Amino acid sequence: MKVPLLIIGGGLSGLAAAIRFARFAPGVLILEKHSRIGGLNSYYYRNNRLFETGLHAITNYAEPGNKKAPLNRLLRQLKLSRDRLDFHQQLQSEILFQDCESLVFSNNFEQIRDEIVGKFPHSTDGFAKLVTFLEDYNPFKTTIFCSARQFLHNLLPDQLLIDMLLCPLMYYGSSIEDDMDLSQFAIMFRAIFQEGMFRPGGTIKDFLDLLLNHYHSLGGNLRTGVEVKEILHKNQIVHGVVLSSGEVIECDNLLSTAGLAETQTLLQEPQPDQKTARLAFVESIFQLPGKRRHILPPDRTILFYNSGRKFHYKSPSDLVDFRSGVICLPFNFEGLQTQEYIEVRSTHLANYAGWKNLETDRERYMVQKIETAGRSKDVLEKIIGKFGSDIVYQDTFTPLTIERFTAKKEGAIYGSPQKIKDGNIGYTNLFLAGTDQGFMGIIGSMLSGVSMVNQHILSRF
Amino acid sequence: MTREEIKALILEIIEDIDEEADFATLQPDQPLRDQLDLDSMDFLDIVMELRKRHQLQIPEEDYPHLASLNSCVNYLEPLLKNA
Repeated sequence: MKVPLLIIGGGLSGLAAAIRFARFAPGVLILEKHSRIGGLNSYYYRNNRLFETGLHAITNYAEPGNKKAPLNRLLRQLKLSRDRLDFHQQLQSEILFQDCESLVFSNNFEQIRDEIVGKFPHSTDGFAKLVTFLEDYNPFKTTIFCSARQFLHNLLPDQLLIDMLLCPLMYYGSSIEDDMDLSQFAIMFRAIFQEGMFRPGGTIKDFLDLLLNHYHSLGGNLRTGVEVKEILHKNQIVHGVVLSSGEVIECDNLLSTAGLAETQTLLQEPQPDQKTARLAFVESIFQLPGKRRHILPPDRTILFYNSGRKFHYKSPSDLVDFRSGVICLPFNFEGLQTQEYIEVRSTHLANYAGWKNLETDRERYMVQKIETAGRSKDVLEKIIGKFGSDIVYQDTFTPLTIERFTAKKEGAIYGSPQKIKDGNIGYTNLFLAGTDQGFMGIIGSMLSGVSMVNQHILSRF
Repeated sequence: MTREEIKALILEIIEDIDEEADFATLQPDQPLRDQLDLDSMDFLDIVMELRKRHQLQIPEEDYPHLASLNSCVNYLEPLLKNA
């Protein structure tokens, strides 16, 4: 069996790439290691209830008529009618630096602009210059690393404002410690502050099912529970993959969404020493009865909090860094009905090596997991009020959980600090898509899959 | 295909790409891109649809021939004469 396009990974970038290809040519095959598709944005069941993983909010909201917006471009490229999707915008979100300052923002960009004018008058002009600069800036051009922190420092006299602006953008898509590439900053600034956040009315499963049905209706194929063990290649040309079962699948073209280092491992290429840390996270879910909704903030969708003035975005020396984090209240989107159960979700930076050390000592690992959930809850309660006594179920994902289910090395959800913007890693018929190609978030990763197929694959058919 | 049929084909493909496309004021000699707010990704869809429907291989250097509705028809007429 020889397939024209083989895709490693049934996450959102792989699915989007596969749909894009299937629209024009037959025979595409996705190989997914996990039993379920979705990658970083998937789901699982406990107590007969579905829990989402990954998804807090989708960035890059756009109104239907805005043809140039990434969201609408993506839907056109996949030939998915917007009528089939049910979108709900965020209410308001907040960047809260405890005991310092707070900035509230929504899908109306004027709101954060006004907040900055009122709270950081010295930076008003600088912020206006930043917005003007970003209007003409093309973040998709391949350039050398340019520090967003330094760039902001030259524009904005308030260091606190710089840290506050970087906090949500880093948490939603930086694979680099304490800084971002300017191009990544520009993409995330637009995605979060200028376009805004939303979520589908149903669960991530409904969204994935919709994509999968669309893919199948176009004749695409998917195999789950199959792990690629090796990529077969000669003279920089890939001719197939070997599965862990020993089965060989031959292909004309290969698109890998597994990540840069992960793909290099499959190619059995020597890997350069990793000098920079991969950023890992812990996530906790606290489930409460829907009828207790009134004890939680009524109008906050996401809270990005930090204690103190200085924001540290780096791999902590402890297992978890509770000094900052993301709190998500997924029921606080416009027009959502209150369900039987609601959730409070938290994310914090974590230390992969520390968790890895606990792997062999199951008991200590479990104790640390429970302790992490408890400490996270304590921190959250200081910000959004007491809810601990109403928790009916809780779960925590450590970097090891994330690594196991997403195959992202070291559980680093944003992948390698190094990004390959053109997807080219030196092979004639193998390209990268997804996290390590450099687009982040659900819309970003899907556009990554689409654009890699457009640039490298479609012209060959 | 006649020139009229080719024109209809192109419009059908564009309508397929963007269901909100408005042809009422479309100037046949002006760039499609500006008038219909198409970007390069949408443009690739036109090329791919022509390939899928009529097995036409349009090399990248010929893409400028597809700029306006009139230039599309001029370019495609000899290629689709037996279609």
